[in-house]
Amino acid sequence: MRGLLSKILAEVLWPVLWFCLGLFLIMGLLTALLPKVLGNIHEVFDNMPLVKPLITALLGVDPGNQISAQLSQAFLWTHPTLLTLLWAHELMYCSRMPAGEIDRGTADFLLCQPVTRLQIFLAESIGWIVSGVVILCCGCAGHLTASGFVHPEMRLPVSSGLLVLSNLAAVYLAVGGLAFLLSACSDRRGRAVGIVFAILLLSFLLNFLAQFQEWVKTVSWLSIMEYYRPAIVIQSDQFPQSDVLTLLGLGALCWTTALVIFHRRSICTV
Amino acid sequence: MSVLETKDLTMSYGSRRGIQNVSLQVESGEIFGFLGPNGAGKSTTIRILMGLLRASSGQAQIFGLDCWRNGAQIRREVGYVAGDVRMYPWLTLNRGLKIVSQIHGRCLQAEGQQLADRFRLEPDLPVRKMSRGNRQKVALVLALAIRPRLLVLDEPTSGLDPLMQDTLMVCLRELAAEGRTILFSSHTLSEVESLCDRIAMIRGGSIVEQDSLSSLKVKAPRRIQIQLSPDQQAPDCWPAGVRVLWQPSHATGLPPLQASQHHLLSIPPGQLSQTCLLELTGGSGEFLHWVTRQGFADVSIGAPSLEILFRSCYAVDSEQAGAKT
Repeated sequence: MRGLLSKILAEVLWPVLWFCLGLFLIMGLLTALLPKVLGNIHEVFDNMPLVKPLITALLGVDPGNQISAQLSQAFLWTHPTLLTLLWAHELMYCSRMPAGEIDRGTADFLLCQPVTRLQIFLAESIGWIVSGVVILCCGCAGHLTASGFVHPEMRLPVSSGLLVLSNLAAVYLAVGGLAFLLSACSDRRGRAVGIVFAILLLSFLLNFLAQFQEWVKTVSWLSIMEYYRPAIVIQSDQFPQSDVLTLLGLGALCWTTALVIFHRRSICTV
Repeated sequence: MSVLETKDLTMSYGSRRGIQNVSLQVESGEIFGFLGPNGAGKSTTIRILMGLLRASSGQAQIFGLDCWRNGAQIRREVGYVAGDVRMYPWLTLNRGLKIVSQIHGRCLQAEGQQLADRFRLEPDLPVRKMSRGNRQKVALVLALAIRPRLLVLDEPTSGLDPLMQDTLMVCLRELAAEGRTILFSSHTLSEVESLCDRIAMIRGGSIVEQDSLSSLKVKAPRRIQIQLSPDQQAPDCWPAGVRVLWQPSHATGLPPLQASQHHLLSIPPGQLSQTCLLELTGGSGEFLHWVTRQGFADVSIGAPSLEILFRSCYAVDSEQAGAKT
């Protein structure tokens, strides 16, 4: 296992560090700038009517004409830049094995070492979770660093922050599990990444369209974003148990299926 | 007990042909040649042995263990070099040795360094900056460094220059002398002929020959070139065991655009009208007796050649492929 972890570290160290730095800066910038931007949001709503449904879709609640300090914090945690960076890391990481290994032909080297496929998959999963924790912590660190420079009212209480973070971590696990599953089914990394990307895009779209179309609400439970509502979590200050459990269930199901498929499938690099 | 054994191993890639009923047996300390044209099923067989592919039916065992179920255990003592070597772009030989050492739980640096010197390999050069031959060398060093009981090499010399090919051959002979077993897959007959004790030939996914090199040489045909006298016609009838590749006035045997043209390359164009080219399978006594009564200007009889045997296998494969198209 140590050898496998060394190999993973050598492969993903620099990309993960870049994602960490990116998330640290983005969260810091958003924390510092969002209160200023959102303070005048009613003018934006008046001038650009489409912005409001977009923010409603992101937050999961109607912000009204003014965005409160709480909602501004929620907006921070649902900001597309944050989600894009996090998911980009996941797509990059989780599609590496086996799809990426098969695609570039290195699967022969890896799978012909005296390790079981279960060990390979577990090592990859450890790397995935550890890198996710590190990246999320860097995001939090960016947020906390910048919080020192904003109005105290704009700072998120630690308890609420942890609740949102746990919900985001569950999203991370669900998306990663899905990426592992598609990677396990595919011989082409690009195809696996493309499908996961399409699913995430569709999730956003469903969430957005549900603001306008009643019938879309009936299928919006299919969207991953339906289970990530920081605004509601911050407002209620309660652990989003059902959302987290749904996301963890999805993640666990996808991850286990990916493991079974990877364990049983023939792998051909030619 | 055999080091490696397959019984009726079968696998297909959907509608594409894979292998059918491949049965092999490789004994301890043997250098076993696995020959066949491109796409014949060599790599598929090897991939099943290495636990990369799952056979549809049949058995594949190494050290008496099932290759699919006990793959990790088997690979502890098996070194493998894939046909088309692809390595991680960031990998250097030293880093590779470190990772493989950690996986195997023993330090391979000294052994690897020694091999790197023999193969003239820079230990800290990343794979992305290496030529194809050097990448091949990295894979070879990593496979050889573990001192495997069984070494599986899938066309290992592709990309290596002749000097490095010689170095590899010396290494392999040393390993065999230590009692280690080598499965050497290739489509280059000369290297198999110079190295291996026994050979299996695969064609169209099935084993067509499996025997010791000496036995195969007995079975292998000889090439015979007959120079006719100035006014002499080619005989109408040839002795048993003779296959006519070329005789003046008409070509017989293989289709003209395939093997027969290749054979004709050995005859100077000006002599084509006075030359017969034959292949003789089996004993040459009867033929020699017959030939002395014919009054030919000259007769040259080559040694039994595995190349001809191999080419005849390949020719049938090409004909089948041609017939399908």
